[in-house]
Amino acid sequence: MNNTPLRQALSESLDDVLEKMFFVRSLGEPQDQGGEPAVTAHLSFEGDPPGWLTLRVATAAARSVAADFLGEEESELSEQQIGEVVCELANMICGSVLSRVESNKTFRLGTPQLLASGIAVIPRTATTHAAEIGSGALAVIFNTETPACSTAEKYES
Amino acid sequence: MAYRVLIVDDSPAMRAFVRRVMELSGFELSTCFEASNGQEALDLLRQEWVDAILTDINMPVVDGEEFLRRLAADELLRSIPAIVISTDATENRISRMLSLGARGYVTKPFLPEALRRELEATLGVPCE
Repeated sequence: MNNTPLRQALSESLDDVLEKMFFVRSLGEPQDQGGEPAVTAHLSFEGDPPGWLTLRVATAAARSVAADFLGEEESELSEQQIGEVVCELANMICGSVLSRVESNKTFRLGTPQLLASGIAVIPRTATTHAAEIGSGALAVIFNTETPACSTAEKYES
Repeated sequence: MAYRVLIVDDSPAMRAFVRRVMELSGFELSTCFEASNGQEALDLLRQEWVDAILTDINMPVVDGEEFLRRLAADELLRSIPAIVISTDATENRISRMLSLGARGYVTKPFLPEALRRELEATLGVPCE
């Protein structure tokens, strides 16, 4: 399911986080969202409703955003640093989305974990959004365990 | 005057970013200390005096809420102003952290100037 108001929240959150914390702008939807090697981070959250967010960042883009975030040369970054930055990016996007759609509730975000093989199957209930940042694409998958329509309606109103 | 600041966050990347942003924003930083959770921070604060603390909420061992509680309960440390930096912008969370003694709250994502403004307001730095 690609619930439009929730997708808008995903889009706004991703743009906001990229601009303020990584000093890069989204260039719109990517031409090609699959195939290329990527760094994938996943985190769950508890609350009403509980759910999870997965962020897939093309490896070249992950290296680029990590360099922007840490203020270092791409060539000087370790894989661990890149993974930590992608986890932090996932954390910020998730917090931003939840604050936009459920501003009067309390959520507890789990610790982001890197996934070795990405996400196998995207549930039908999930909302997705992808963006190109020049060095590669980012894709966000957001899913709640109860239907997302209630949060979407609140976001709409 | 330059200030001594402690950053408490379990993400090394986030600690590096906050430190960099303080420097980029023009905030007068003399020494920056780091801790990866509330317990490490309390241990460090028994050795080093700081002017302000910037703390995350979700951390292992001692999280941000418990850290603020322990700070408030410590006669020596309770006067050090703590500012929360978190992705959680929900009203419940912000009011809870402020009620536990946080002097400020900065929501991620934030611009460098926003962090500087919050720090300077908390420290009572006169406007230029």
